[in-house]
Amino acid sequence: MAKKAKSRTIAVRLVSMALTGYYKTLIRPRTHRPLSMLKYDPVVRKKVLFLEQKRGGR
Amino acid sequence: MSSRQYIKLAGSLPPRLTRFFARYPPQALLSQSTPPTSSTPAQKHPVTGKWHDPVFSLRRQAELVKLARQHGVEELLPYTVKGTEERLRRRAENGLRVKGTGVGQRVKGKESERTLKGRLEKRRQAMLEMPQMIQTWKERGHGRGWKKWPK
Repeated sequence: MAKKAKSRTIAVRLVSMALTGYYKTLIRPRTHRPLSMLKYDPVVRKKVLFLEQKRGGR
Repeated sequence: MSSRQYIKLAGSLPPRLTRFFARYPPQALLSQSTPPTSSTPAQKHPVTGKWHDPVFSLRRQAELVKLARQHGVEELLPYTVKGTEERLRRRAENGLRVKGTGVGQRVKGKESERTLKGRLEKRRQAMLEMPQMIQTWKERGHGRGWKKWPK
């Protein structure tokens, strides 16, 4: 049976680098480079760097 | 007390207490030769070494003690940790101390409570390094040259 086609976009998790456990889930094209951005972390109440978590099968 | 008085007393007690006393008569009534039968604490079987549950659970022991106290026959009950004397002794010994707060004891707490300090310290360290991290991130083309992605 033919394999199901992979979707063009994927949902990724951007975790706060303040190590608060806070994260945001975004959608990016599968072929795009990993996302990273400055965003507000409500736990430390500051704008901090958010980096995309490496995705690995369990 | 004579046996007649005991019979009279038994008539005045509620059936729950008389049933208990029929099963476990007070020591005063038993002849000296019969060994005392214990109904209250959990017991280790002498042969198999296994623990047997008490015949009367702690809750039922407390209920029996309360009932016996109301009818003034508490001293006829066998020894139990729920007895008034025992309770008063513990109160005198421990006062109003909360369990687990004595000398040499400690409250274990939830996992989140136990690790709270370490997590806050890690967060504080990360926040100290944050301006430097953002600086390098900006220099490396906003993530284009970034190598260390979090797991």
